[in-house]
Amino acid sequence: MTLFDNLASTMLGSLSSISVTVLATLAVTLIFKTSYTTNFAQGIISAMGSYTVMELLVYSGIPIYYGVFIGVVVGVLIGLFIDLAIFRRGRYVNAIGKQIITMGMVSILVGAIPLIFRTAGLESVNLMPVVELNRYITFSENITIQLNTVIYFAVAAVIVAIVFLLLNFSKWGLGVRSTASNEQVAGMLGINTTFITAVSWGIAGALGAISATMYAGFSQMSNSLFMTTIQVNAFLACILGGFATFYGPVLGAVMIPLISAFIGFVAIYVPGLSAWREVLVYAVLLLLILWKPQGLFGPRAVKKV
Amino acid sequence: MITLQQLSKGLLCNKTQLYGEEKRSRSLRGALKNPLGQYLLFGLILVVLQLVSSLGSEFGIRIIPVSFMTALGSTLIYSMVSIGFCLLLGYSGLASLGTAGFIGIGSYCAFFCFQEWGLPYIVAIMMTLAISIIIGVFVGFISLRIEGIYLAIITLGLSEILRYALQTIRATVNIDLSNIKLFGATIDKEVVFYLIVAVLLILIWITNNLIKSPTGRAMLAMKNSTSAAQAYGISLMKYRLLAFVLSTVYAALAGIMYMMYLRSVSTSMSTLFRLTTSLNILGAVIIGGAKSIWGVLAGTFIVYGLDSMFLQSIPLFNDNPTLITLFTGILIILVVMFYPGGLQQLFTLIRRKVIALAAKRREARYGRDV
Repeated sequence: MTLFDNLASTMLGSLSSISVTVLATLAVTLIFKTSYTTNFAQGIISAMGSYTVMELLVYSGIPIYYGVFIGVVVGVLIGLFIDLAIFRRGRYVNAIGKQIITMGMVSILVGAIPLIFRTAGLESVNLMPVVELNRYITFSENITIQLNTVIYFAVAAVIVAIVFLLLNFSKWGLGVRSTASNEQVAGMLGINTTFITAVSWGIAGALGAISATMYAGFSQMSNSLFMTTIQVNAFLACILGGFATFYGPVLGAVMIPLISAFIGFVAIYVPGLSAWREVLVYAVLLLLILWKPQGLFGPRAVKKV
Repeated sequence: MITLQQLSKGLLCNKTQLYGEEKRSRSLRGALKNPLGQYLLFGLILVVLQLVSSLGSEFGIRIIPVSFMTALGSTLIYSMVSIGFCLLLGYSGLASLGTAGFIGIGSYCAFFCFQEWGLPYIVAIMMTLAISIIIGVFVGFISLRIEGIYLAIITLGLSEILRYALQTIRATVNIDLSNIKLFGATIDKEVVFYLIVAVLLILIWITNNLIKSPTGRAMLAMKNSTSAAQAYGISLMKYRLLAFVLSTVYAALAGIMYMMYLRSVSTSMSTLFRLTTSLNILGAVIIGGAKSIWGVLAGTFIVYGLDSMFLQSIPLFNDNPTLITLFTGILIILVVMFYPGGLQQLFTLIRRKVIALAAKRREARYGRDV
């Protein structure tokens, strides 16, 4: 294996991770922009979706292609529930209150998943991948890539493209952008911010369900908190790219798996480094964020007093 | 920077010194109106519970089961973390999600000092304090550059670094304290429980005095408006660093206690050093009311204690252990939705209602005062 072969295969290997992180990050960003809160429940809502898919697959024999749509519906419903039934009903809900509510939602769903899904009782379940695991695309003698990974990446790319088109050219997108800059003024100008926010929560739930189903394909659903790592990465990606724009967080989400893959590549040549891989990844991220607290991409926000 | 004198002034002065001599009655009721008296009573109750439990087990009567005491002990350990976090969130307005990592530091320090290197406990505690102060100062400096939700996520990243580092160093730690003596006594679970109560009371007392001192006022001012606080000459750096150092130290002390009390942590498996713990502590402080020590203690009890101390013995909950998590979540959401001041607000509300009711009854019986 040459140096280039190693580099190429580690980088290609991170594609599936990139797809999942990008979708999760987009969901977190949408909610942050419209509801001004970090959604700690993103991971668990996603898990809910993927458990639905799993349950349908194992006990009803519904294949993943159809099951994922039902999973998405579940994600959307939970998202809508949080926004419409909780945020809008609370009498004094402020930004930190919303955060705590999403945290309470984590507790509720962590409690509910084992009660609802029989598959949650299994020791660790692996969601059947879309195509068999052993099918590969070969670039050269040493560089191969799983067909699954390519499909994941394609799906993620299409979804991200659709969301960006919607954001930039649809009426909803305009609403989101104006709600993001100032909810009150947007409401005064006749934008139905309740509707905009609710739709954003719904889309975030859908993105979550898809990302968790993908993640379960190459990782394991060991327990209902299996999406936590992705969620943490998504938060960091948002800060890394900067919340000022929509593309910043997405680029941040692409960068994190790439940094991880690069450290993995270096670890091939440096013995003993691979055990410290995660520590190094987060340390690099922390340094990047400290260097540019407002994010690597997008304009610098000015603090008004 | 903070001079030692200022710090000790902050830590030791109490309300009486600040606002002139308060009229204090010498009776028991008067003592109970004093916060210190209340805290001592709280500690006394805890000690009596443990005494009753160990006496009972000696004579073979299960008055208070050992599992109950273990749950109580762990809840008290989490209370230490919550009280530190209350200083950070409730008084300084700094949101941090790094709590879990800080507990981890304490636990691993205790493990390495006691178990691997066999150092005396005083050295172990000093070392833990030193490390946690360094980390606290580091995070404090970060907080000067990054604020709000960004800070929370940064500290979350830091916590992940700490967790992965600890996990790489040693995935599972077990501690054996049989050859270590504390004040001449062998360290068994009972002794550690008394130690936990003592440390908790000291921390509560320090916090109580701190929040009523100029330091606490400065922190509150900083929380409400950084610009206004700075205009009044409050140094953001000084108080942010202090807040982070204190909360880190509290968490690290709790980590030591956790290691001594429960003796074993599996970093790769358990959720102790993960986001869940940080979120639970945050939840406990918010449910409790963020600014009141009793509220925070009650919040921690609801998040951690209610489940392990009482509900687990009820068959319904015993069969479906996750049902408790579900109810805790619902409770958290309800409190945030309708009582943003937390349990503290709820208690005040109930107390006011009771007083009003009593006044009404008095009026019905004796007629209106003219």
